[in-house]
Amino acid sequence: MIEELLVYTGLGLIALGAFAQLVSGIGVNRFRNFYLRLHAATIGSIWGCVYPIAGAGLVALGYKELGPYSTFMAGAAFVTSFLILILSPAGSHALARAAHKTRQALVEPCVHDALDPSMCVRGGGS
Amino acid sequence: MFVQEFIAAVIPLYLVATVLYLYRALKGPTIPDHVLGVDLLSYNLAVLFIVLGIFFEEPILIVTAIPLALWIYALDIYVAKYLERKVMGA
Repeated sequence: MIEELLVYTGLGLIALGAFAQLVSGIGVNRFRNFYLRLHAATIGSIWGCVYPIAGAGLVALGYKELGPYSTFMAGAAFVTSFLILILSPAGSHALARAAHKTRQALVEPCVHDALDPSMCVRGGGS
Repeated sequence: MFVQEFIAAVIPLYLVATVLYLYRALKGPTIPDHVLGVDLLSYNLAVLFIVLGIFFEEPILIVTAIPLALWIYALDIYVAKYLERKVMGA
């Protein structure tokens, strides 16, 4: 009973992760400047990476075919998802800060940029 | 249970996302775009390692995902620091 519940929850999280990765892939290709693409990318790294890895850990807890290593696999999956949950926003923020400070990526359809108004390229529509 | 059939049905979605990320990683007009594409490809690879570890019932595949997650963070920090201060290293 409890094993089936764990497996179904985990499979649901894996399917949610696949959907989120697809949305993130479309968003990364459709958005118009680097900072908007970063928004799509963090969807892909939290919804598309942390949740399916935690779901895989839940599946491994309830999936008897894995044998004696199933708890090892579940623990490693939870540790990995926690590491990505901490490290992925830190990395994205460092990258965005470096890109903005060194003027690598302009803010292309811009409304207001309080950090550096000279990087704000107005126009270009919404 | 139907775990393997379900995962076999879900994995093509991840592969489509891989192709989309690869397009952005190769095309990306600026350097941070390339790095962002490589970043997303590596996260996708980490998820695929773990999901395939369940699919093939091979628990050893999961060991590869933890250093991969740490290296993605290291790549971000290295590139950000190189762009800001023009020095390599942590």
